[in-house]
Amino acid sequence: MLELKNISKNYGNFALKDINLSISKGEYFILLGRSGAGKSLLLEIIAGLRSPDTGSIYLNGSDITKEKIQRRKTGMVFQDYAIFPHLTVFDNIAYPLRIKHMQRDRMYYAVNEMAENVNISHLLNRKTNELSGGEKQRVAVARTLVTSPEIILLDEPMASIDAPLRDDVRSLLRRINTMGMTMLHVTHDYSEAVRLADNVGLIHNGHILQTGDPDSVFSRPVNKFVARFAGIRNFYRVKIYREKGKPVAESANRKYILNEADYPEDGLLIIKSDSISVYLGEQKGMDNCIKGIITELNRAENGYELFVDSGDRYHVLVSKNGFEQLSLNTGKTVFLSFSTDSLRII
Amino acid sequence: MDTRSTFHWIILILSSLVLLFILAPLIGMVLDTSPSEFFQTVKDEEVQDSVWLTLSVAFMATLIFSFMAIPFAWLMARYNFPGKSIVQGLVDLPVVLPHSAAGIALLGFISREGLIGKAADAIGLNLVGNPVGIAMAMAFVSLSFLINAARDGFAAVPERLEKAAMNLGASPVRMFFTVSLPLTWRNIASGFIMMFARGMSEFGAIVIIAYHPMTAPVLIYERFNQFGISYARPASLFFILVALVIFIIIRIFSNQASRSLKKVTLNNG
Repeated sequence: MLELKNISKNYGNFALKDINLSISKGEYFILLGRSGAGKSLLLEIIAGLRSPDTGSIYLNGSDITKEKIQRRKTGMVFQDYAIFPHLTVFDNIAYPLRIKHMQRDRMYYAVNEMAENVNISHLLNRKTNELSGGEKQRVAVARTLVTSPEIILLDEPMASIDAPLRDDVRSLLRRINTMGMTMLHVTHDYSEAVRLADNVGLIHNGHILQTGDPDSVFSRPVNKFVARFAGIRNFYRVKIYREKGKPVAESANRKYILNEADYPEDGLLIIKSDSISVYLGEQKGMDNCIKGIITELNRAENGYELFVDSGDRYHVLVSKNGFEQLSLNTGKTVFLSFSTDSLRII
Repeated sequence: MDTRSTFHWIILILSSLVLLFILAPLIGMVLDTSPSEFFQTVKDEEVQDSVWLTLSVAFMATLIFSFMAIPFAWLMARYNFPGKSIVQGLVDLPVVLPHSAAGIALLGFISREGLIGKAADAIGLNLVGNPVGIAMAMAFVSLSFLINAARDGFAAVPERLEKAAMNLGASPVRMFFTVSLPLTWRNIASGFIMMFARGMSEFGAIVIIAYHPMTAPVLIYERFNQFGISYARPASLFFILVALVIFIIIRIFSNQASRSLKKVTLNNG
């Protein structure tokens, strides 16, 4: 469907380097990266708004690297919608149809049908400055869909939308995708990737670091950057060796017992914050049980986050119930326990 | 009276003084001109011809040069290139030049010995002493107003709107006429009015290029020189009133046009 081969582009002090990416028909692909990672630049290159310095872009097997923007069949939805402010909602959606010289009756039918699909029929005569962020996003999506693109390129589609409206837009995007539309969506938001993507790619400093389905990427991150995107906060530089027949990872401050597997001599040990259990007493029989002191405590989305110091510093998530039952507070001594399954070396 | 109102009173007084400075000479001109003198001047064919010549040539100069100036302004707003600041300096140059010096420079260019003058002479046209020469003098000293206003307008249009139009299938020309231009219309209209006004009021460059046929500023100067202020005043008042009416009409027209432009561009689509 869409294939990028060795795309590179120098852009001021920034450069996209040797980007290779393949997206299948009907796939929802999310490219995840921080601001300035090169996500939007890559979309603009695919859409033809900028030319790559090297490399090729194939759409349905045809090389479109030098194809005119107007003939690419790549519909782009811009970050802040790029709705034409001097036109009504109807005229915005009709804009590409007028370019095609579509007959008036057919155009009215097409605009109304598309407006109905994205639930904005009641807004067609409105000026765009009267619309909410979510409504503008729907207009932008409808205006792109009406061009019948082969792929939709979404540049941070949730970035300018209030949190309560994001679910609506998310379900709209998912619905468009289930109708068979191929989507390439760039974002900095890990939760969008988890909720929407069939496949994800992680981009950092102009490089794609890892691609794959969200489960495999986030459970087996290839490096610290990807792990951070997966919400992992606990990283420890370790040396790995065997002790008493078991593989052991030793950080500057302590030893961790690992699962039986092949490991490199050194690496980065990661522990997910939600896979650490908190106890008031020592858990005998557990491979990894660590005594520490709570140094910081904050409210989190579904409970509390603790920072526990035990030589190494741990970020731990606990539920509201667990927090209350254990009467946790700053300065309290606790025991942290985690199974060998939850430890990963990258 | 608290400190805040003292400050406001000072601002009010200073503002009133500025307005008075602008209005007082004009009001004085109206009060010092008798109705009979005024109507006699209005009926004077020489005055009528000069006012008409000034307005028509200034308007045509603005209109014709806007076809080049507006795309140039878009280029200046959208692209960075080596030497751009030098080009911008060149655009602003006519504003800071003494206008008589501008007239001399232009005369060398359009006289029979000059580059353009020779070409015009080949088709039997002498630009010196000709409305075409007057139009060039007017445009030379006023073009920067239109270019700068349009450039600021284009720069204020988010580039992503133009990109979106192209992504939706618009050619660069269509994108320019359906997105960039409608969104810059107010700036362009303001620049158009400023260029027209500046061209119409030009004296220094025109008097060197073409003393005859006489534009209104040259006629007023000549009457003042030959017959004194009382003879020049009614012609000045007439010219000012006509200019005012024209500006009000253009402003109303441009406001209506900006509202209907959307309709026009869409229907043509």
